Amino acid sequence: MSQNSEPIIKIRNIHKRFHTLRGTVHALNNVTLDVMPGEVVVVVGPSGSGKSTMLRCINRLETIDGGSIVVDGIPLTGARNINKVRAEVGMVFQSFNLFPDRTALGNIMLAQRVVRKRRRAEAEAKAHDLLVKVGIPEKADAYPGQLSGGQQQRVAIARALAMDPKIMLFDEPTSALDPEMIKEVLDVMMALAKEGMTMIVVSHEMGFARAAADRAVFMDMGQIVEEDVPDVLFSNPSHERTKLFLSKIL
Amino acid sequence: MPDESSRTDPVQPASVLPPEHSGEGIPEPSAYERTIGWLASLPWWAIILGVVAVAVLYSMLTSVAYQRVIRFLTDDPQSSTTDLFSVVQIVGEPQSIIGRYVGETEDSVQTVIYNLLDDVIDHHLVTQTGFIESESPAAITVRTLDNQLITIPKDRIETEERTEDRDGVRITLTYIDRVTVTGIMTDRDDDTMTIRTVNEETTTFSTDRILSRESTVIPCDTDANPGCEDREVVTIERQGEIITGTLNTLSQTNMSLALPGGDTREIRQSDVDYFHVPTLTIAINQDRADQAIAPGDEVRIAFVEGTDITAALEELNSLEDIPVPLQYADGEARAALVSYPDIDAALEATGTGEVSGLVYLASDEDRLAVADWMDENPDSGVILPTPPRECQRGCEVTVKLVDETISGAVLEETDDEITVQTVAPEFVVLDRDSILENRRMEPGVCALNNLRGCNAGIFLTLRVTFIAYALALLIGLIIGLMRVQHNPFLYAFSTLYVEVIRGIPLLVILLYAGFVVSPWLRDNTPISLSDEWEAIIGLAFGYGAFIAEIFRAGIQSISRGQMEAARSLGMSYPQAMRYVILPQAVRVVLPPLGNDFIAMLKDSALISVLALPDLLQLGRLYVSRTFRAFEGYNTVAILYLLMTLFLSMLVRIIERRSRLPG
Repeated sequence: MSQNSEPIIKIRNIHKRFHTLRGTVHALNNVTLDVMPGEVVVVVGPSGSGKSTMLRCINRLETIDGGSIVVDGIPLTGARNINKVRAEVGMVFQSFNLFPDRTALGNIMLAQRVVRKRRRAEAEAKAHDLLVKVGIPEKADAYPGQLSGGQQQRVAIARALAMDPKIMLFDEPTSALDPEMIKEVLDVMMALAKEGMTMIVVSHEMGFARAAADRAVFMDMGQIVEEDVPDVLFSNPSHERTKLFLSKIL
Repeated sequence: MPDESSRTDPVQPASVLPPEHSGEGIPEPSAYERTIGWLASLPWWAIILGVVAVAVLYSMLTSVAYQRVIRFLTDDPQSSTTDLFSVVQIVGEPQSIIGRYVGETEDSVQTVIYNLLDDVIDHHLVTQTGFIESESPAAITVRTLDNQLITIPKDRIETEERTEDRDGVRITLTYIDRVTVTGIMTDRDDDTMTIRTVNEETTTFSTDRILSRESTVIPCDTDANPGCEDREVVTIERQGEIITGTLNTLSQTNMSLALPGGDTREIRQSDVDYFHVPTLTIAINQDRADQAIAPGDEVRIAFVEGTDITAALEELNSLEDIPVPLQYADGEARAALVSYPDIDAALEATGTGEVSGLVYLASDEDRLAVADWMDENPDSGVILPTPPRECQRGCEVTVKLVDETISGAVLEETDDEITVQTVAPEFVVLDRDSILENRRMEPGVCALNNLRGCNAGIFLTLRVTFIAYALALLIGLIIGLMRVQHNPFLYAFSTLYVEVIRGIPLLVILLYAGFVVSPWLRDNTPISLSDEWEAIIGLAFGYGAFIAEIFRAGIQSISRGQMEAARSLGMSYPQAMRYVILPQAVRVVLPPLGNDFIAMLKDSALISVLALPDLLQLGRLYVSRTFRAFEGYNTVAILYLLMTLFLSMLVRIIERRSRLPG
């Protein structure tokens, strides 16, 4: 997509270990990844391969034990105000994590008011625009408990977009959804990709990957095994592990 | 973008349905039908309990004894009062002093004022003598020419002007003179404050008591006070009041009567003209008195028909030096009371041994009846174990107070009654700007239009509970937030607080607050806690630990994803706590918080150990005064119950209100 020479996300040799009662899990092992502005990267891999951990490291929901991450020119390890970085990086969770005590509109407005210090009218107008964009303007006053999973996830995407992020991270956004609701979420993501948003998507939606992604990354055992154009990676993988994994899910 | 969401729409709330859908031909049930339906759905025991409760409450509210307890426990409120506050205000108005200045040194000021300026002050006031007064650097004392010493603190001097002439230094001081106004605030608006400095005194009495009456007219000084009216002042010699009641106590200086209405009245002996106290006579048969008596035997005691013998029997019971058979007490002998038409018949029966003894309460005229009879029948065998004496307690007495002379203005007069104002009230209207110092402002008497003045009983319990709970919520919230921090100091400190406080009985914490912390603060800091605040702080710290644990549990019950979502949107930790986690946590912890509130209302009964007149303490006081334990504690229990039931209803409503849709 964009031909800028400088990547917006630079991940260099990061390591992440989790210490549990049963011992140490090496969740990320020497992972290096660059994402260019406007690029859409799909990350696939078996459960426990470190896909989500990598995503969470990018907005420092997890700290890294080694290596470096630079987001939009700001090194995360030394970032003094991590909240500024986070506001530039939107994140969508598998379990939506909407605030259950606020309406859809309230969910989208909260961070705008608190973090971006926007006026109420401004935040409300923005929230309405975003609800139109994700296709559920009529649900503005509904509480998360009154929404279906697909609607909730779309509100969650709108909530992240309200901060005008430069990067969007999607952590298995459709895994918790019923099959017939997946499409409505993917449509929103597809539209976002077409607008040139930089996205990293952890997902096994091959259709979405083929249609929208510039690059697909296969991770296993905390390492990036292989990366390529989605069509190539999915139809003609070069590594045995990738082939094995793809044969299981396709 | 296709919208497939309508299929999964949740059920719409009923309120948004168009009305024609709400009842297909079924009419909305009326309030009466709904009430009947609700009653019918209750279990049988609830209905029985409800009926019993209503019956008990009705009989309580209509019983004079219970009404009296309730009045006592609610700080005896009046229906209305003008005594909103009792106040002491310092007001000032500028004054000038002019004189001659002699000089001052570093630690003292010597001022001589021997000549007031002729053009300012009336000529005849001026004398040529001077006085030297020394004062500390804080104040100047000047002696004016009319020989008055005035000490003016230097901080009150507004302007000071010194001029030299051939006699020395002339000093002109403008200072603020302070006046203290003490009284009862009766009215207040934005600019002024009306204070009644002298209370009105009126007396209302029957016109039958007027012995003589004179009236004089005091003409009005129209020069000083234009528009005033002449006042008529009456002087009435009034016959002393005649009071009849049951004697409670009788001493050399005082007597206390229980009046028929249930009130008691203390009367000083010096106010008493004369009073009649019946004479109590106890006579016994000599032979019977010497006989032994077995437990359970019946002792026949005579009394005269129609006389009041309860006091006499009580008296008889308290006499310890009379022979055994007349001991009127359980376990020794049963008393069988036998009535006789008159005292002679009763004495005769005593003499014949028909009865063992007699009790007789004689009014003034026939107090000598027994002695007369004994003189006439010297061999009757009747003896008096103790000489006849005045009844000490329990019998009916009549007291006549001394006549007195009163004077004042007649406020109201009918054929039967007259109301005389013996002391006219005096009011001072203060300009609120001129108030220099608000020395003291205390709520006046407890009344329905001045609830600020209600301090005792149920009011104290409610006030202490509400303030203490608000403080406990604050403490609990802070400590609860500290308990979920990773900072080891905050975590350790809050855990220590919770564990220590939770492990000590609330009563001990209250005693600590009242007798350890508060005296220490008084000795070592300028903080002086009132009893009420000791109780509030004790309760707040005691409950803070429990509420902290509730908040901690509530915060931890919110899924981690909420915090992550908030942080990923760029919120700081405090922002995420404040806007995302706490609002949800509070919903979760509302029921246990409501529980704790009700528990605290009940535990506030413990503050009576700090000698605070709370509901329980007043109840105990009432019981110890009247020995009516049943009514006293019943009322205390029911008042607590009513308050907690009301609160739990309130808590339930709040919970329902805070429930999220969907």
